[in-house]
Amino acid sequence: MSRLTTAPLEVEEPEVVEVSLTDKPWIVVVWNDPVNLMSYVVFVLQKLFGYSREKATRLMLEVHQDGKAVVSDGSREKCEADVARLHAHGLWATMEHPS
Amino acid sequence: MSPAYTPMGSGPRWSIRREGRDEPPDHCAPVRFKSGRDGTVSLTLEPAEVELLRDVPEQLRRLYESDSDDPARERLFPRAYLDPTEEGSEEQWQAVVYPELLRDRLEGLDRLVGALDRGRSIRGRRIEVDLPPDEVNVWLAVLNDARLAFGTRLGVSDDTDIYRFVPDDPLALEKAAYAWLTTLQGALVETMLGTLPD
Repeated sequence: MSRLTTAPLEVEEPEVVEVSLTDKPWIVVVWNDPVNLMSYVVFVLQKLFGYSREKATRLMLEVHQDGKAVVSDGSREKCEADVARLHAHGLWATMEHPS
Repeated sequence: MSPAYTPMGSGPRWSIRREGRDEPPDHCAPVRFKSGRDGTVSLTLEPAEVELLRDVPEQLRRLYESDSDDPARERLFPRAYLDPTEEGSEEQWQAVVYPELLRDRLEGLDRLVGALDRGRSIRGRRIEVDLPPDEVNVWLAVLNDARLAFGTRLGVSDDTDIYRFVPDDPLALEKAAYAWLTTLQGALVETMLGTLPD
């Protein structure tokens, strides 16, 4: 990004823009397991994230068929809270930062 | 994941148990209950079912409070960070979250036992337990933990048919208990799904 040469010295760099360009969100992944009921996974995804039945079902099927699915994303803090809520409901969830 | 072997709800009130016969108590038996559209559930439990449901919190309490590296315990309290180089963040997360997860789980066990204690005796040996929707959520969490723990111990896999029993299997009773808990959880999930938007 180029600095405008006519800008007064006091003007700060647009930090927010820099951050959003370089900081990818963290992602929360739910992994398949042989015990959790398919209907229960749909219920938990709807209850925790407010997803529609259709979206929750699509994510559940992705977990079931592909072994995992990204169910939410956001800041590190948000993802840590999401993982904790998923663990409280017995879903096997982890978080990672895509590089 | 495991498909739920329970019929879909066909209205506010339905029963899974075959009606019309007084069947012997059996861990394998289906679940008899009524549910309302708001998620309220009324469960009718045989003595053997009550015994199983009282045993579940005792077993889970021992597992929650043990310090062992039991795989069942690790399944209930997994790590958050996939990347092993994030060990510092993982430890910080565990320090904050683990005490809360443990406290809520122990509270859930007490609430399930409390609901059983409040059950009304009907026709002698059965009891009827009324659960408002928030209690159904607690039961779902406890039943799910029980199935995760027992399923891990029984080595349940995606290919396991949990409703098929071999008579001389030394684990037949544990497997039957797992199957019954699965049926009960499946029925309660269907009830709660009915309270959420389609």
